[in-house]
Amino acid sequence: MTVLQLASVSAGYGDTRVLWDVDLEVEKGRIVALLGANGAGKTTTLKTICGLLPATQGRLYYNGNEITGLPVHEMVNLGLALIPEGRQLFGKMTVEENLIIGSFLKRAKAKRAKNLAWVYELFPALANRKNQSAETLSGGEQQMVAIGRGLMQNPDLIMFDEPSLGLAPLLVQEMFRVIEELHRRGLTIFLVEQNVHQTLRIADFCYVIENGRIVQKGTGKELAANASIREAYLGI
Amino acid sequence: MLLLPQALVDGLLIGGIYITIAIGFSLAYGVMHIIDFAVGEWIMLGAFLGLYLSQWTQMEPLLLLPVVFIVFGVLGYLFQPVIYRVLSGKKGNPLLMALVFTFGLAIAFKGLGLTVFGFFSRSIPSAMAANSFTFVKGDFFVTIPVIRLIGLVYAIGVTLVLSWILKRTDFGLAIQALAQNKEAAGLMGISAKKTNSWVYGIYVGISAMSGVLIGCMFSISAQMGSKYTVLSFFVVVLAGMGFLAGVPWAAFLLGMVQSFFLIYFDPGYTLLAVFIILYTVLLISPKGLFGKGV
Repeated sequence: MTVLQLASVSAGYGDTRVLWDVDLEVEKGRIVALLGANGAGKTTTLKTICGLLPATQGRLYYNGNEITGLPVHEMVNLGLALIPEGRQLFGKMTVEENLIIGSFLKRAKAKRAKNLAWVYELFPALANRKNQSAETLSGGEQQMVAIGRGLMQNPDLIMFDEPSLGLAPLLVQEMFRVIEELHRRGLTIFLVEQNVHQTLRIADFCYVIENGRIVQKGTGKELAANASIREAYLGI
Repeated sequence: MLLLPQALVDGLLIGGIYITIAIGFSLAYGVMHIIDFAVGEWIMLGAFLGLYLSQWTQMEPLLLLPVVFIVFGVLGYLFQPVIYRVLSGKKGNPLLMALVFTFGLAIAFKGLGLTVFGFFSRSIPSAMAANSFTFVKGDFFVTIPVIRLIGLVYAIGVTLVLSWILKRTDFGLAIQALAQNKEAAGLMGISAKKTNSWVYGIYVGISAMSGVLIGCMFSISAQMGSKYTVLSFFVVVLAGMGFLAGVPWAAFLLGMVQSFFLIYFDPGYTLLAVFIILYTVLLISPKGLFGKGV
């Protein structure tokens, strides 16, 4: 079943058009990845999906229902969560407050205690720091809070915007381990990354974006095996 | 020396009034980043509603505070979308436009007040206004007017309720989240529009209630607004723009300065002293007393 579908979506900032007729599908229970270089339109794609940026053309569907033009707070209420680039934590609030606000929505409130326990189980380091303000954490810990906050939303589809960005190699491994763990738990994952090796390894299906257009798609293995793609788009 | 206890107590009591006029303003700035020049006019309108309500119902005006809060809370809630529209404009400088907008609003409200309420000063008759406590110990003595004490209790009460809401409720966390990162707050499912409306409603309601209290202590007139806007602005700047926890301390500091000047120096220079304190603090710490403002 298709959870998320983009049908020839275009978007941009002001007069600058960034996305050109993007077609994309995310199947339930899969890890789908969007790869591309800096400035290719990865973050813009995610922002458009979440309603942070209006699509200028095309339509978006979530579980078969059209969601084009919905404001962001209604989008997330449908069960989609975005772990934004650069964490975007509430720096002056404590770790636990950051997690609690993740379950602000009615659909998540009832499961608050259960999900909080789960997040602390997934990231034991956070349990020790729950009363510390979020801005005092290290980059890796902040990324854990950001992911934990997303999980508190009790989402069906969780989208990551470059979760490995700016993390030490060991933490990058850890981040991909967590993503695989969430996948095993049945969550659908849409992963936007620059870390090509790791992403191709775990993703069920990949899209490659360049200059705002989807230029390649296929399973991780297919893309990794195709020499011309590797050279032209993936830089490996 | 004999007047020292009185000066200290007066400082606290004046500080209480400063809290009441600045706390809502600080909340609104912290969340919406709007400097609302109409704050004094909301105080004025609230005062007149209190006056007319108490004349009409023949009730103690202080008992009407909840009614005033609800009336102006609803007004603020309904009015906020207009400001939100100005604030979320795409062209030009929306923050500056909002500033100009509230300035215009203040002038409009004042004009409305002059037309409807007239030019003359009035006061809200409260049964509490006549009484006062006097403590004497040896040569020292302190007089505390009951109505001023009620004002201080009200100020502390409002502060405590607000900080409880901000720290202990989901709604309060949502307000904080929105103040710190609007986009991320949206991703949590927090509607900026709705939350801002609630905050603006609460702020307008608190300011209007403060107007009634002020009317029980001093005189009120349609032109009183700008004075309270300036004072409110002083307190909030001194506390650090948007730093709510700093408001009571800044208010008490200004209250103390004012009361000491009144008693020990020339009362005519009180406002000058307040100005000088404000400028000095801002020169040393532009983000307010605690360095935690925006």
